Order: sequence, then structure tokens, then C-alpha cells
Amino acid sequence: MKAVPALWRDRLAFDARAAALLCAGLAALPLVVTGPYAQGIVLVSMYFAILSLAWNALAGYTGQFSLAPAAFAMLGGYTTALLDFYWHVPLALSIPAAIVSTALLGLVLGKLVLNLSGPYLSLTTLAFAEIARVVVGNSHEFTRGDQGMHVATLTENRLAYYYIFLAALVLVLGVLYVMLRGRLGRFMTAVRDDAIGAESRGIDVVRVKMIVFCTSCGICGLAGSLYGTFSQLVSPELGLLQQTGLVLAMVVIGGMGSLTGSVVGALLVYLGSEWLRGLGNVQVIVFALLVILFARWVPGGLWGALVARMGRTRP
Amino acid sequence: MKIRQLATGLACMGATLTLLPAFAADPILIGASITQSPPGSVVQGTQVKDGMEILKDMVNAKGGVLGREIKVVYEDNQGIPEKGRAATEKLISKDKVVALAGGHQSSVCLAEIEVAHRYKVPYVNTNCWSDDVRKRGYPEVFNTSPYNTLVSSSMATTLATMGVKRVVAFAENTDYGIGQAKLTGELLKQKAPNIEYKYETLDRASKDFTAAILPLRANPPDVIVMSMLPPAAYIVMNQVYEQGLAPSAKTILYDGGGLADYPDFWQNVKEGGKYLLSFALYHPAMPQTQLAKDVAAEYKKRTGNDVNRLVLQAADSLHLVVEGIRQAKSAEPEKVATAMRTMKFDSLRGVSNFSTQAGYGYQQWLDIPFVNYELTAEKQPVGQTVLIQAPGQKFDPAKIVRPK
Amino acid sequence: MLRLSLDLLANGLIYGCFYALMAVGLAMIFGVLKIVNFAHGEFFMIGAYTYVLVALNLSVSPWLALPCAALAGAALGWIVERLLMRPLYAGYASWGFMKDEYAVVVTFGLSLLLVNLVDKAVGPYSYKGPSLIEASRFALGPVMLTGQKAIATVVAVLIMIALALFLKKSVWGKQIQAVAQNRLGASLAGIDATRTTSLIFAVSGMLAALSGALLAPLINPSPDVGSFPAIKSYVIVVLGGMGSVWGAMIAALIVGVSEAFFSVYGSYDYRDAFGLAILVLVLLLRPQGLLGQKGRDV
Repeated sequence: MKAVPALWRDRLAFDARAAALLCAGLAALPLVVTGPYAQGIVLVSMYFAILSLAWNALAGYTGQFSLAPAAFAMLGGYTTALLDFYWHVPLALSIPAAIVSTALLGLVLGKLVLNLSGPYLSLTTLAFAEIARVVVGNSHEFTRGDQGMHVATLTENRLAYYYIFLAALVLVLGVLYVMLRGRLGRFMTAVRDDAIGAESRGIDVVRVKMIVFCTSCGICGLAGSLYGTFSQLVSPELGLLQQTGLVLAMVVIGGMGSLTGSVVGALLVYLGSEWLRGLGNVQVIVFALLVILFARWVPGGLWGALVARMGRTRP
Repeated sequence: MKIRQLATGLACMGATLTLLPAFAADPILIGASITQSPPGSVVQGTQVKDGMEILKDMVNAKGGVLGREIKVVYEDNQGIPEKGRAATEKLISKDKVVALAGGHQSSVCLAEIEVAHRYKVPYVNTNCWSDDVRKRGYPEVFNTSPYNTLVSSSMATTLATMGVKRVVAFAENTDYGIGQAKLTGELLKQKAPNIEYKYETLDRASKDFTAAILPLRANPPDVIVMSMLPPAAYIVMNQVYEQGLAPSAKTILYDGGGLADYPDFWQNVKEGGKYLLSFALYHPAMPQTQLAKDVAAEYKKRTGNDVNRLVLQAADSLHLVVEGIRQAKSAEPEKVATAMRTMKFDSLRGVSNFSTQAGYGYQQWLDIPFVNYELTAEKQPVGQTVLIQAPGQKFDPAKIVRPK
Repeated sequence: MLRLSLDLLANGLIYGCFYALMAVGLAMIFGVLKIVNFAHGEFFMIGAYTYVLVALNLSVSPWLALPCAALAGAALGWIVERLLMRPLYAGYASWGFMKDEYAVVVTFGLSLLLVNLVDKAVGPYSYKGPSLIEASRFALGPVMLTGQKAIATVVAVLIMIALALFLKKSVWGKQIQAVAQNRLGASLAGIDATRTTSLIFAVSGMLAALSGALLAPLINPSPDVGSFPAIKSYVIVVLGGMGSVWGAMIAALIVGVSEAFFSVYGSYDYRDAFGLAILVLVLLLRPQGLLGQKGRDV
């Protein structure tokens, strides 16, 4: 067996190839999984996979532990919903608008936390997320508050939506791969590992952070907007801290700092949680426990553990 | 030898199979999306489940319907519209239920009826009061629940009759709360335009409402109306009582959410519940059908609590679905819906049928009976409360008891 | 107007005392480990539930249920530190450079776990905790109080005074201060830093649990009751200065009162956002808060 490559670029290529394989598997899945309900489950796990990738780019690769991914998904969904409700903007425009608006807000957030790190950064992003959720949830006149808003849909066909989400997933993977493959990728990990050292080597830390915040939040907005059109309903519940917790769990269990890990984590956690639902609502307990166990004892996540084992099979 | 043993074995198995219980066919599945965890009202969800379980057992004891037993599949929607939508999808497409019943929170209902409408599965509205559920005009939705127009117009009439000057309403931030508060205000303006009315929207997930309550102390209103559900409703009642605001000699506390007969009411409000005036949909003095009495007895046996209107409403909803299946002679959703549209049937609360008028009355049982009563002692059972408005009579403000 | 302002002031101060009890523990943890415990709200919740369940099911006086709640909080804090917090300073290589982030993830996971465990074990119903004394409402000047509110406030203040004395005068308290100032130096001086950290977590858990128990009769706890005091605590600790116990106490009172006034005179709907906005502003403009140390990396 080929020795696991050690160079960044090779590791990334390996990762990307695995991710592509996974997507191919997902593309073929509807041949086996034909019921619309089951397809819907995989579809929602792809939504979470997109969120996980976005958060991983920000936290796993760049060390910015934001607690706001779910809030940005909610904001993206509401952008589309509000545009549709008040001005009847067609989806072809309102979905890109969601991406743009969340990317811009991501820039604002990035600027806010520029000089913060560790718990201060997490707290500020948490405050940002909660403010967003409270404002959206309590503006009854404007957003119907807790009751949510109706959103138009792209298509009534479940299978078509499945492939729309898959296409979005592939797109996001592609964007992140391109980002990571070049110098930006190594700058990101440099900022994560030692921001001051990176600065002293001439890396424009501010610019790196801004780009990553912008991209990550824009991706979250895209996911939220697509999900809103799928379920034809957006509500402040999309931005709950619990949803962020779920995303965190998926990335930690799947493996931080790897693309495939995020997708694997999302699929496992969401599908597992559906399966566990039958056993009496213990899914959150199980996954919270897994997060703690993985963070404490298996820091690389499943993907990390898998790659490490493969490394041991050197001839 | 071996072949003979095999044959004996097979014969035994065959004999056992014939002894299987009468319900050899698949059970008929009915879906119920209810609240079993916060932030929705778990108290309501539990009562709905209890009511439906009792009726289900009664039906199965009598042989089920169409020779098959019925089974209710429950899903937890947590009082969140998005979760309700997902739960309804699952019940319809995965479990293939014949019909849905048990919806008890308006915002969730509004999301769920969309799904029911798309799949053309009948949806019985057990307790969603918001008029918007009716106004959408979906032929799959059957409303046996009280509706805001009924409650609000009754409350507006009551307020006008009481001859008060200033009214403040606390409404929870949901379709039910805001809908009821707004509508009561509008109807009140028509009946008694010189009464000052305003409402305050409260977050049902919040734990502290003193910021909304304190400003009223300087100039207490004559009536505080509550359009809220537990657990927030209990906290509001406690805090209003703690601040000495209501119930007091000057200010009446008037509940439009039907709280007073919930099983955990007294343990949560203690002395704050005394002198509460309540719009109510059930009182032992109201005429009751035999089925209602049976359900009441069974509920008392199982939980030790007196029956209340929500339990009866839930049992009623399941009863409606079973009747629909029986009259349609089929367990196919569309046929059941067609049967339910035209039948007149003996519900637990009286003979009911569905009106066809558009708007809030669409496929709604319009003449739901109600009363107004007042709690006059702590831990008072509903049967001993003072009836301020007896069934079918006018509201008599002279009967209201005020604290010293 | 005056009466309303007095009401708001009184209520703000009362709630501020409860928040202070809650936030001080968080400040202590930050002072020593430089991490934020995202499961802090759940210690509050466990304390509230222990109090309610012990008093209702074991039929003991609520005054006995209080120490039970305190014990539960302390035990939980100790266990959490022992099992999960060691990697932060014991040199384990698991998360290497990202120890702050490790703390975020682990405590977040812990928070979800505890909420859902309690929900599963006890059920999602809310319970009204029994009051410490059965005196119902009475007037103190222009302000209306209940027996529970008055007594609970007095108890809270007494606990905080006891805590201040403990930190200043007792041996353990001085060890805590030493470890907070300089971990390496303290261990060179012979202080067992690991055990002291366990003690800090236990004390923090105990304080949060007591806060929950005292508030239980007022807010009818349910499994997710921990989130609102947790967020308040973050705001308070940031405002007071991370790591400063006095800062947390003062900031708690400020937050309690200003929130009360804002929600009446400002906007009622957005009052939750108000506290969070304070947090963001403080972190941007004066990251060390009122009484905190100005650190190199904030």
C-alpha cells in the first residue's frame, strides 16, 4: 500500500479524492434508496455537510472558533424569505442575494473579532449569533417572529432537490479545495497554529481572516437559503445554538482539518440521529457524549484516526 | 421418521397460527404530532396523548374499526413549526398514516397543514385556535378545535358587559396568542368603543416578565387578560400576583387560554390562582354525552385527575377519524376525508358538523359550547367553581367575587 | 415614575445578586484556566433540579435541600475537571495548540449532554420549587416582595461575603489566588496546582448550583433553564473583567439593574439583545472589562 503522503498538497489531494468518491457514492445512492422520506433524510444531512465544511474552513483550518454557523444559515434563509414575501423576488435572484448578504455580515463579524482569540472570539461570535436570533425571532411585525415565514420552492420533486443539494455540496467542496490548494491554504493553517509567527513572516493575517470569514459565512447563507426553499419554511429555530452544537459535533467526530471528515461526520451524525430516533429520543445524548469522547481521546476525529491507521501500514 | 417429525412440526405451527388474535390484519395507523419537550407546551401534549390513548383503547376493546385495530403513532414537534413539518412528513410518507390528529399549537399547525394538503391526507385540528388555520381553506383540514373568533368575541362581549374602562392583555408570541389578543381588541372596539385596550407580546420561552408587569403598578388596569400557555403562563400569573397587581380588588385576571383545569395548574400557581376568571370549554354542569362520561371516568382512573376540555378534545379528534373510516368503509385517506366532510356525528361534546362558510368558519364546528367561571379557593376542582356564565346563559358580572 | 424606577431598581438589584452568585464561579474558572465553561448554565440547572426534587420527593425542608443542591454542584464540578479538563494544563498532547478551542468544544458538548440527560431522566415538565419560607407577598416601602425573594437575596449576599472571606483569608483561598496569578510559580512554591484547580471547579459548580436552587421557586425550572443565566454570566464576566471576582459581583448588579431599566424604557422585545450588545461593545472597546488585568493576548 502506498505510504500516506506527508506533504500538504498530497494530503489535500488524497482528502479531495476521498471526498469526490463520497460524492459519487451519494450521487448513485437514489438507485438504492428510492423512498422520498429516506431521500429527504440524506438531503438534510447534505445541508449539514455544507455547514460543517464551512465551519471547518473557519475553525479547523484557520483556528477561528466561531459559534455562529447556524445563525448565518438562518440569516441566509430569512434573506430569501423576506425578499420573496415583501417584494416577490424570484429565487434565481434571492438565493444569490442570501449568499451576498451573509458574506457581507461575515465580513462585519470578522472585523469585530479581528483582535480576539480563544474564548473571547467564541463569546463574541456567540453574542452575535444570539443577537441575530433574538432580533429575527422578536420582530413580529416584520418577520412573523417565532412562527416562521413561508418560502417559495424550486421544485416539488424530492429527487430533483436531492441533486440540487448534491450539486451545492460538490460546488462548496470545489471552492474550498481551490482555496486550500494554493498559498491561501497554508496561510490559513499558519494563522491557526501561530498567528503572531505568521505575521512576523509577512503573511497578511487580517486579509486571510477576512477572506475566510466571508467565504465561510457566505456558504452558510447558501445552505440556509436552499434549506428554506426545500422545507418551504424558515423559522428562528434554524439559528439555535443547539444547531451550531450539532455542526460542531459533526466536525469534531468526523475530523477537524479535513474535507472528507466533515462530510463523513455530517452524514454519520445526522443519519445516526434519525436511526436513533426510533430508540426513544436519545440521539442528542449519544452525540454529545461522542463529542466529548472524541475531543478528549480521539482528537483527529474518525478521518484522522483512519488516515493514521493507513499510515501504519507502510511496507 | 424425520419426515414424519417435520410434518408434525408443520401441523403444530399451522394450528398455532389459527389461534392468533382476531386482529390478524395490519393495524390502521393514525398519526399525532404533539409537543413532548420544550419550548412548546408539554403539558398540552401530554393531555392530548392521554385523551387519544383512552379513546384508542376503547375503540380497540370494541373490535377496532373495519375489523382492524387502530394504533396512534406519536411524533414530538417541540412546539416548533419546522419540526412539526418534518414530523408530519415522516408520519405521512414513512408511516403511511390514514389521517393526522392531535395538533395543539397554532404555529405548528400552520406548517403541518401545508404538508397534509400537499399529500391530501385528512388533518384533524384538535386544539389550534388561530383563525388562520381555517382561513387557508384547505379541504383536508377538519377543525373541531375552539377558534379564536369564538373565544375573542365571547371575551369581548364579557368585557363589554363588565363595564370596565381599561384592559391590558398579555399575549404569547405565537399565532394563537397574538391572534387572540388582536382579535379581542378589534371586536371590543366594535362592541364598546370607549374601553381602552392594549396588548403586550411576551416571549413564551422567557422566565421573567417583571419588566412587562412593573409598569402597570402605577396605574393598574381593570382587567388583565391572559392569552398564554404554560409554562410561561404560570410564571406570569405568579409574578402578577407577587407584585400585588391581580387578582385584586381593582383588577380582575381573566384567562383566555383554558388553563384552570390543567393537571399541573395548582401546583404551579398556588395562591396566585385564586379569583382567576376563566373562559372555559368544559364544566361538569354542561350536558355531557355517555362517551364523554366514559372517557372522564377512565381518565380519572388512569391519572387520578379530573377530566378537562383538552383531554375531551383529543379523544374527540380520534373519535372523528374513526367515525370517518367507518362511514367511508375504507382506510384510504382521500375517501376518509370525503366522508368526514359531509357526516353529522355524535362528538363527545355534542352533535357536530362542519360548516362550509369561508374564512374562520371553514370546515369548523361552529357551535362549540362554552362557559365562564371563577376559581374561588386554592386547589378548587372545576366542579366547585362559581359559574359566572352558565351554559347557554348570559354573563352575569354581579356574580364575580373579588378579593378584599 | 419614581415608584416604577424604585421597583425596577429593587428588582434589578435582587436579580443582580442571583446573577452574581452564578457569574463569580465562571470568573474564577477563567482566572485560573483562561477558558470559558460553556456548560456553566447546566450547573445552575442541576442545582435547581436537585433542590426541587429533594424537597418534593424526599419531603425534607427546603432549607436542607439547599445544601444538597450545593453538594451536587460541587460534585459535578469536581468530576468535570477531573475527567475533562486535565488536557488543558497537564501537558497532554491531544489538542496541542488549540487548548482554548478544546475547552469550547468539550464544554459545549457537556452542556448539550446534561440538558438532554436531565430531560430524559426527569421529564420535560417544569416544576415550581418550594419556597424557603411561606410568607407570601409583603410590601417593603413602595416595593412589593415575596418572602422567597427577600430571603433568597439575603442568602445570596451572605454566600458572597463568605466566598470573599474564604478567598482572602483561608489557606485554600490563598492557594487559589496563587495558582490564578502564576501557575508555575505556585507549584514551585509547593502548591498542588492540579488539586487547587479541582477545588476551583467544585466551588464554581457549587455557587452556580446554589444560584439555581435559590431561583427555583421564582422561575419554575425546566431542563433548558440553564441557557438564560449562562448568557447573562458571560456578559457579566466580560464586563467585570475575566478572572476578577469583585468585578463579576459589581458587574452583575450593574447588568441586573440596567437590563431592568432598558426593558421598560428602551425596548421590551429586544432586551435580551441588550446584554449581548454590552458584551460585544466591552470586548471591542475595553477588553479587560472593569476590573480585569490587561493581558497580552485577549
